[in-house]
Parts: sequence; structure tokens; C-alpha cells
Amino acid sequence: MEIYLPIAEQSINVFVLFALGAAAGLLAGMFGVGGGFLATPMLIFVGIPPTVAVASQANQVIANSISSLQVQWRRGNVDLRMGLVLLLGGMLGSSAGVTLFTWLKRIGQIDFVIAVMYVLMLSSIGLLMLFESLRTYFRRRRNPTGPRGKLHTHYLVHRLPWKMRFYKSKLYISAFLPIGLGFAIGILSAILGVGGGFVLVPAMIYLLGMPTTVVIGTSNFQILFVAANVTFLQAATNGTVDVVLALLLILGGVVGAPIGSRIAAKLPGVVLRGLMAVLVLGVAVELLFELLRTPASPYSLGAREVLP
Amino acid sequence: MRASFLEFLFKPPSPACGGGVGVLRRRRGRDARSPLPSPSVADYRATSPASGGGTNNKTINNKPRLGVVGIVAAFLLCLVATAAAAQRVERPGPALPGPSLGGPADSSVPPSVPSAPTVPELIVDLSQARVSITSAFQGESLLLFGMFDPPGEIVVVVQGPPARETVLRKERFLGLWLNTGRQSFDDVPAYYFIAASAPLQRLLARGAGGEILSLDDRLASIRPVRWRSAEELAKFRGGLVEVKRREDLYPAAFGQVTVQAGRLFRAELPFPSRLPEGVYDVRAYLLREGRIVAAVSRPLPVGKVGFNAQLAGWSRQEGTLYGIGAIVMALTVGWLGGAVMRRL
Repeated sequence: MEIYLPIAEQSINVFVLFALGAAAGLLAGMFGVGGGFLATPMLIFVGIPPTVAVASQANQVIANSISSLQVQWRRGNVDLRMGLVLLLGGMLGSSAGVTLFTWLKRIGQIDFVIAVMYVLMLSSIGLLMLFESLRTYFRRRRNPTGPRGKLHTHYLVHRLPWKMRFYKSKLYISAFLPIGLGFAIGILSAILGVGGGFVLVPAMIYLLGMPTTVVIGTSNFQILFVAANVTFLQAATNGTVDVVLALLLILGGVVGAPIGSRIAAKLPGVVLRGLMAVLVLGVAVELLFELLRTPASPYSLGAREVLP
Repeated sequence: MRASFLEFLFKPPSPACGGGVGVLRRRRGRDARSPLPSPSVADYRATSPASGGGTNNKTINNKPRLGVVGIVAAFLLCLVATAAAAQRVERPGPALPGPSLGGPADSSVPPSVPSAPTVPELIVDLSQARVSITSAFQGESLLLFGMFDPPGEIVVVVQGPPARETVLRKERFLGLWLNTGRQSFDDVPAYYFIAASAPLQRLLARGAGGEILSLDDRLASIRPVRWRSAEELAKFRGGLVEVKRREDLYPAAFGQVTVQAGRLFRAELPFPSRLPEGVYDVRAYLLREGRIVAAVSRPLPVGKVGFNAQLAGWSRQEGTLYGIGAIVMALTVGWLGGAVMRRL
């Protein structure tokens, strides 16, 4: 059954979009990250213009993170103070990102930048995760209890000024760290249409040293507002948010997420992270292949301008 | 029941409550405010066999379509309750051809026969007055039909609104394929289709008054925004045609105009799903010995209707409101969906 998307200006099968949303929801449920990094390339692959895919995906991320935040908030797993500081950076970053997006769109390089950024980001994250989970897996096999490490190590970054206390996260660090992190995630969110959870979550754990209990809730808190900001700015400046497309993805996600969390409950964390790493790397390789392969036709059309 | 309630909700002033009645009422309304100054043309319209045939054609063509679309609409409604608003569009879709029975034909008939008000040499009508992009739009095929005074050959040219198109070319850069070349052209028709009742080359060989252009001739007249070598320009022009062909906006094959009984003709106008909006120009020519003896031109509006049109309009004009609406939609559906699914 086909449906015509008013902003993407083409008809597409409803079930394809629904399935894409469900797959993204499944990932969200399984790994606690939004499935944007998978859904956006897939949308582009099925022929949605990249600019519309990115902006509408940001709209979908809002729904994803509010439904996850509902639970986390009730369990008290949100470090509001940390979330607000991250958000400060996130708002700046996403606004800068949308400006960058608009400029790249004008000079005709947005598709390329989206593809290259996806490849770089997914391959680095995927490799990191893969090595980490392999290492944990083998270490645990050797020593089931595992050595008890330090709570967190201190690097140079901990000597930055403007230190703040984050009670819930049991941290005393410079506010520049979360602001900078939020900024970077904001840019990613604006250009790639991802929530950025799969970058933010590891960064909060390894870079900031936050306890894992509050990481998911806090990242969802920040992602919710950043995605809302991106949606708003994309709609206001580029007019590329397709709500019909987003709605179908959201409905798919609503169905997929609980299934994902049920699967996640049955699998050990290491296996889960390993699976995620393989998936992320798979998408990265596919995208890289697209960039390297000689295209069927070198020609494409930019935006049509009706002159007054 | 449900569909009519939705219609009532979203479009109270619309008369499209039931096929026949709506059409009848609209026709009468049109006739009453018909701006035709010349009674002779009106008479012709009433008695013309072509217009009668057109009416028959239409009813036969549309009845099954209405049924299919109705079923699709009902199915969609049940499946995606939240997208019900979009569904409402399905109803006005098939109802729209109603006014097409005469509406724009009125305006097109007089110019077609400026010299002979009683016996026009060429009469043309379309199976629909407009192409309506509804939620179920997947491209459409319109029927152009008419009558001419033999002898002669018929050529039909359909052009989309002209605009500036930018052709991008990927080139290899450090092993990666990157859009490095770009060339803009002005006055590029969004859509171009040409059909003829005899091999076009033969018809156009004699010049055809210089007015009828094959796709190649038409594209020779698009203006490059920035000048480069003729060779490069030709490459970009080729690229433009390639992309447009791929999207079926420049249907590659010349269409066939079928002539029946020596004086009735018909042609299928294929419109793909990725159809740019705007007012298209449909022209029919009657050629005798390579000269144009009569020409009929009529506008064919192509546009989104109903919910689609509203959304696109908001997105374009009220970007900030649209953005806020999109956020509220996502928050509501995400919140409710999350809450409901957790209960299950």
C-alpha cells in the first residue's frame, strides 16, 4: 500500500516505513539508543531525499526519547543538572549544525557530507565497541568475577576550570566537558538526524565517568530537547520535515521498542554490545561501499527553483 | 459513515458529499456563473458530439476507480487511525473530475476556433480537469481525447512549468565519488511529453510552423546560467535528460495518438508519482501537409489537494508553526505509544 509523502514529494510503501520504524524501535529497546543511525541511511537508500530523511528522522527521535524518558524519569535515573549542562552545549551545537546543514545544502554537498560523516562515525564507534566487548568477553571467561578497577581515571581534561558538582552522577568535573560533548552531539544530530545516543552513551561512561544507571536517562533527556530543536530549526529554515513520514516511523517504533527490550532482557550485556558493534560496522561498510562504487549515473538534480 | 464524518470535520463547505449529486450541483453552478460571452460557442458545446462522448467516457472510466480508491481509503483508515486526517483526501480525489466535465473546457474552446465559431476544426478535452496529488497518488494516466476535421495528423505536446534546474555531476575525488561539477539551466520544463498520430520525424520534417518541438529541440532552447564550452554544456544537458527520463518526467517514447473513424482521436498522458506541482500546458495541433491548421491549448493544474496540500503549504509558509506542530505530534504519539505498549 503506497502513501504519498507531502514534503518528500513521492509515494512510498507504508509497510516499508513502518518496518523501518519498527527496526529503529527494536534497536532502541535492545541497546537503549535510538535507531536513527540505522533508519536515516535506510530512508536514503529507499529513495527519500537525504535532506528530508535527516529532518524527519530528528522528528522521530523526539517520540523515541520521550517514551524512554517516561520510564527513566519515574525510576529517578535522570541527572537533571548534568542534563541541563549537556543541553546548553546541545542547543548551541544543533543550532550551529542546522546552519551548517543549510549552507552545505546550498553548495550541493550535503549528501556527500552526510555519507562521509556516517562512515567515519559508525566505523569508529563500531570498532571501539567491538574491541571493548571482545576484551570484556575474553577477560570474563578467564576471570569470572573480573578485576575491580578504579571508579574512574583522571586525565588532563579533569584539570579544566569552571568545575561543577554533579551529585547524582557523583562527579566533580569542569562544566566545559559536558558542554563540549553536548555541542558535538548537537552538530551530529542536526546533520545526520540521529539522536546521538550511541555516541553520547559511551562518551558519558568513558569520557565523563558517569555511573551507568543515570547515563541512559540523562542522555534521553538531552536528546529529547536537542531533537526538538533540530526539528524546529529544520522546519523553520529548510522546510524539510515530513510529518507523515515521521508519524509512520514513530508508529513502527512504538511497536518495535517493547519487543527490543524483551530481547535485551534475555541476552547478556556483552553479547548485546557485540551484536550492536557488528550492526554498526555493517552499516558503515555498506555506506563506504556506496561512496567508493562507481555510480550508475554520475548525474543528479539539485533543488528545482521556480523563478518569480 | 466514518469517511463522511471526517469530511464534515475537515472540510465543511465542500459539496462533495456523494458522487452524482455533488457533480450535478457543481455543474449547474458552473453553468450559472460561466463567463462565456459568446452564445454560439455555448450552443456548440451543448450539441457537440465530442463533448457528449467525453461525458460518457468519464463516467465509465471513473466508476471503478472510485470503488478501488474507496476500498483503499477504508483499509488505510482502519490501519492507521492517526493518519485518518490524511485519508480524507481520498474522497475529494475521485470527486474532482466532476467539474472537469466542462470547467476549463469552456475557456479553451473559444481560442481553439477563433475563425470558425460554428464548425471548429479541432476539439480537445481531458478526462480530468486537474491532476490531484492525494495521499494515494502514485502517478496517473490522463486521457486526452477529441475530434478533428479530416484530413490531417494530430500532435499533442504536454509541458510542465519551466524552472531553473541544477544538474550535479559526480566525479572521483581521492577515490570517493563527489558532486564536483554543477551547471544550472533556466527555462527547463518540469515535464515534457509529445505524442503524434504519425511518426513524429516525418511530421516535423517540414517544419510544422516552427512551433512544435521535439524534446531535443525543446531542450536546445534551455538557457545555461553560466557559460562553459559547448561540449561540456551538451554533457550536462544530456545528464539532465538522463535524470528526467529516470524519473519518467521526460517519457522516453513518443506517445501514440490513436485515430478512430478518421476523426476521433485519443492519447494517454502518463504522469509519474514524482510530479512537480504547477500549471502544465497541454497543446494539441492539427497538421495538414506539414502546416499547423488548428491548435488548442489548455492549462492543466497539477497540485496537492486536501491534507497533503495543507501540510506542504504550512511547511513552506508557516515553517515555525509547522515545526512546533511536528514536535507536539511526536511528543504526543511517543508518550501515548510508550504508555500503551508498556501496559500490553
